Amino acid sequence: MTALYALVVQSLRRVRKFLLASGLLLAGFQVVLILQANSIQASNSFAKMGELMPSFAREMMGPSFVMFLTFKGIVCLGYFHPIVMGALVSVSVALATTPVLEIESGFIDLVLARPLARHWIVTRSILVAVIATAYLLGMMALGTWLGLSRFAAKNAAWPSVKLVGSLAINLGFLMLCWAAIAMAIGCACRRRGSAGAIAGLLALTAYLTDYVGRAWKPADSIAWLSPFRYYTPFQFVMGGDVPAKSLYVLGGVSMAAFAIAYLLYSRRDISR
Amino acid sequence: MPSGPPAISISGLTKRYGKLLAVDHLNLEVQRGEIFGFLGLNGAGKTTTIRILLDLLRPTSGSAAIFGHDCQSDSLQARSSVGYLPGEMGVYSDLTGRELLLFLERLGGGAVSRKHRDSLFERFELNDRELSRKLREYSTGMKRKLGLIQAFQGDPPLLILDEPTEGLDPLMQEAFYDLLAEARDRGRTVFMSSHVLHEVERVCDRIAVLRKGEVVLLSSVEDARKLAPRRVRVEFHQDVGVPATLPEGYEMTVAKPRTWSLRVTGTLGGLPSFLAALPVADIAVEEARLEDVLVQYYRGAAA
Repeated sequence: MTALYALVVQSLRRVRKFLLASGLLLAGFQVVLILQANSIQASNSFAKMGELMPSFAREMMGPSFVMFLTFKGIVCLGYFHPIVMGALVSVSVALATTPVLEIESGFIDLVLARPLARHWIVTRSILVAVIATAYLLGMMALGTWLGLSRFAAKNAAWPSVKLVGSLAINLGFLMLCWAAIAMAIGCACRRRGSAGAIAGLLALTAYLTDYVGRAWKPADSIAWLSPFRYYTPFQFVMGGDVPAKSLYVLGGVSMAAFAIAYLLYSRRDISR
Repeated sequence: MPSGPPAISISGLTKRYGKLLAVDHLNLEVQRGEIFGFLGLNGAGKTTTIRILLDLLRPTSGSAAIFGHDCQSDSLQARSSVGYLPGEMGVYSDLTGRELLLFLERLGGGAVSRKHRDSLFERFELNDRELSRKLREYSTGMKRKLGLIQAFQGDPPLLILDEPTEGLDPLMQEAFYDLLAEARDRGRTVFMSSHVLHEVERVCDRIAVLRKGEVVLLSSVEDARKLAPRRVRVEFHQDVGVPATLPEGYEMTVAKPRTWSLRVTGTLGGLPSFLAALPVADIAVEEARLEDVLVQYYRGAAA
């Protein structure tokens, strides 16, 4: 356990500045969204925004469209904005491909020459991914709370703790799912660049599949394959609970991909 | 010699990368307490063998054991006795030298005596200021010194060193040779690969030469040196003719009327009788050099 602790601390230490900056950026974005929502509310522009929205977008969003164009909806946008989701998935992929980076750099030679089982390397990376996910989502939630408590207009309807919690939990599962997929890919690759590119391309394809599937029936038939299909922020904004099925699917995929990562890493040659 | 299983025991070890045969049915034993030189040209299979010993690579067939512990099935136990210096040390450049040493210490492999580590710092001339610098600021030689310190800091029973003096200046090389001698005096075993043949000749007890994944020479340094032809230079008072035949093992490399240069393989016992009838003025014999033997094995001219 001392070795695992040393590995986790060392890995977190390496990415601390990056995580700190990312956390601050995400929290800041939440505050900006709240300021934006304030401004829209102050000018009574939510209705005008609805009129400006193209009809296909309204169709895609369904009844949640109405809820989205509210103070609460805009505040929650930070949890499902494509750029935020892309950034979070990228962080997950980057952290999850650390084992292959260590092989590529040769650092792992020094580590595994010690009496340390290989599975600790994968376990370390999973723990780092979990800690980073919790930290980033925690910073987003903190940004939301700070923004609301400091800057929200008095008559604004705040999103509930349950709503923000549901978004964060579901988004956290999605991040871990991509971390697991990227780790499994990384454990089969010789280069981090290759692993990152494959995982990134896969994530983009999955996102587009889910996105297109919402508006185009033929694509909808395969959209169930996309992990993004199991992140349903509009349902939460409408007042729904986190669907257990979504968490089971994302959790199941994560567990399976982590298991594959353990297997591949334990059997592979550690060579550049 | 200490009792127990050999420090390293390799049996029928083969490693194949697709069509490339990196190590071919390698058999080798390294006894406890010896300094063993593992030699060969680039790509001969030295590093591959070392990486299999550390369970970084998995063999295609065969097995390897460290102090009787199989390097694959019982690899944790095997690696618990090893201090390792990789040929190319990959490090995170944002760590300081001291942080790297502490991190590696925490990963296990034996308690590190502060006194022993301090003596290593002193020996390799790394002071507090240098140890507090980020590794990105380290020169190649400094990284090598740090690599040697991390390998030796736990005073492990077996040291596996891949090109240990690569990048070290002559003074640090001397410090390293002293360290090796002390390790041997304490009964430690050293398994090292090297391209520096005079270094091998100086520090190793036994050597193995690897060519295309196969051991082509396994010998004590002393015995290997005996295989080397010696250069004999003979000067004469007056002109002499070149004999039609030479004794077995003799080869004339320079034949001038008053000077011969000969390469003599084997003992020099027959030299006096060969020269007895000639007007010899002077004889100079160069000491046999291990390098001459090894180069032949490298080239494939011997074996």
